[in-house]
Amino acid sequence: MVERTEEAQRRSAAERPEPHIRRIWVKNLSKRFGDLVALTDFELEVEGGEFISLLGPSGCGKTTALNCFSGLLEPDAGDIELDGESILSVPPERRRFGMVFQNYALFPHLSIARNVSFGLEMEGVEKSEIRKRVQEVLSLVHLEEHRDKYPAQLSGGQQQRVALARAVVTRPRVILMDEPLSNLDAKLRLEMRTEIRRLHQALGLTTIYVTHDQEEALSLSDRVVLMRAGTIQQVGPPKEVYAEPASAYAANFLGYRNLLPVKLTAAEGERATVVTQGGVELSGTLRDRLSPGDDAVAAIRPEDVSVLPADRKEQGAFSGTVELAEFLGRDSELSVPAELGESVIVRTTGDWKVGSKVSLQLPPERLFVFAREG
Amino acid sequence: MSKIKSRWGIDRNLLLLLGPALVLVVALFVWPLLYGIGVSLTPGPGREGLLSNYAAFLGDARERASIWNTLWIAIPVTIANVLVAVPIAYRMRRPLKGQRPISAIFVVPMTLGVVLVAEGMLTFFGPAGWFNKVLLTLGVVNEPLQLVHNYVGVLISLFIAEFPVVFLILLGYASGIDPNLERAGRMLGAGAWQRFSRIMLPLMMPGVAIAAALSFVATFAVFPSAVLVGEPAGATRVIALAAWQAAYERFDFGEASAIAITMAVIELVCVAAILLGRSRLYRGPSGGGKG
Repeated sequence: MVERTEEAQRRSAAERPEPHIRRIWVKNLSKRFGDLVALTDFELEVEGGEFISLLGPSGCGKTTALNCFSGLLEPDAGDIELDGESILSVPPERRRFGMVFQNYALFPHLSIARNVSFGLEMEGVEKSEIRKRVQEVLSLVHLEEHRDKYPAQLSGGQQQRVALARAVVTRPRVILMDEPLSNLDAKLRLEMRTEIRRLHQALGLTTIYVTHDQEEALSLSDRVVLMRAGTIQQVGPPKEVYAEPASAYAANFLGYRNLLPVKLTAAEGERATVVTQGGVELSGTLRDRLSPGDDAVAAIRPEDVSVLPADRKEQGAFSGTVELAEFLGRDSELSVPAELGESVIVRTTGDWKVGSKVSLQLPPERLFVFAREG
Repeated sequence: MSKIKSRWGIDRNLLLLLGPALVLVVALFVWPLLYGIGVSLTPGPGREGLLSNYAAFLGDARERASIWNTLWIAIPVTIANVLVAVPIAYRMRRPLKGQRPISAIFVVPMTLGVVLVAEGMLTFFGPAGWFNKVLLTLGVVNEPLQLVHNYVGVLISLFIAEFPVVFLILLGYASGIDPNLERAGRMLGAGAWQRFSRIMLPLMMPGVAIAAALSFVATFAVFPSAVLVGEPAGATRVIALAAWQAAYERFDFGEASAIAITMAVIELVCVAAILLGRSRLYRGPSGGGKG
């Protein structure tokens, strides 16, 4: 799931340049469009040099938040402080923030070099200095030989590199990225992900990155901000968010694909006993304040469920029949209707045929019990 | 079944499909054009030589002046139309409140026709019209401005008649430009004027060229307003009027055809110049990339 190579790369860059800012403090930002509440009391502190992802499904307010940071959108309430000064009244053209758009937004009538130099020209940087810096940044994104071409002559990945180069060449105080990889194919997406992290690292950038892709958010960020309906659900480093989702919603979004509706029967400290709709009893770990009799959700990742042949059924395991098997390369994903009364999705390296009788084990320390919402 | 391929690798039978259109073009355009050229090359009474009709037109200073009169109307009107339409189209590139009524006001003149506009102008801009009455009442002027039956009258009338076309073409171009391009410009530090001049205007320029070419051709062929609100014996004796007088006052069809062909050649040269300029501009997609 998470790219370990990027994790390693992140640690290796010890000689990172100083970030251009010390801190952004977003305070109680709110925004509504007519009756639609897009953002409510959004509160976030970003350290200079940090890579932050705003993660959530479409309509969760992540792009609204980004547009408020950029100044392209005016919040209804709240404040944004950069190194102790409010920047709310500073228009976008003077905020010195860089922005990378989902559709790249390159100027189609300007050459690659002119696209990249645009921001420097606006700043009135000297011609020789512009030439030098454009050259530097184009070599940083491996596009030197394309400097005189026009955007339409480049591939999607190359266009995205130009967009990155154009945004970073002015040494922006903060760089904002709005789903920059969602128009690329799967292979290119991985490549560009590494590229983005590398640039962030090499240039000492402070990056706020909007995405709906949990894998992107987890692999790129220092901290992930999980959003829902205009509010923040959970903030934390990728490992923490991945291992300890704060709610059933967060779990659902972070790959806990098995969400079983259950009723809590007993709770003792962290230990919980629940009963499924099929009447089967399960042990799990309690993650919300609940009392016996409450409706709850039991969440477990497909890769945390163990599969054994039916005849080796151990205590606390359930029998089932493989209904669907999806081959994923290194492993397979099975859908197994079990005694629980629900299908359980399982990820396993074993070779199971459709129709095989299996026994499933749900380790209690990996089965999280959350309050049921809505 | 063997298919006969032409040089371009197309089934030759398909070329037959061009037939009906070709007949129409030949009958309605090519034939009259060739006929006109033929008439223009046939010496009129008392003339000799293939180009004598052209010599008669171009050799007479008064006749020749009609060319300048026409250019002197067509060029300023075209420039004025573009200069006024570009900022308005730019302003209206995104839906505004009251977009529809505003557009309607700009576009209605197109449906009225030159004659109706001229009629209205005679009343509105005449010495006793509302326009002059308001100016006199406000004390802006001491005596009525002469705005009809002269050069200015023709300019106003053609400006009103051609503005809708120019505006609509430019509006199409302006609203087709990806709004993210301006946002990107803004994030890169471009102020309002820089966003317009560096991003939007260059991307609108191909549209400006097309609109200018159409407006020029239409105004160059001006006839009714030159007579109705102009000064057809003097400053607004345009080339179309010269051709009409040759044909239907002097019944000199040879010279009339020569004038008409001269007019077509001038138009072609001007339009070619505009389109040549356009071909040097960026003409690709006006989006910022994929998606």
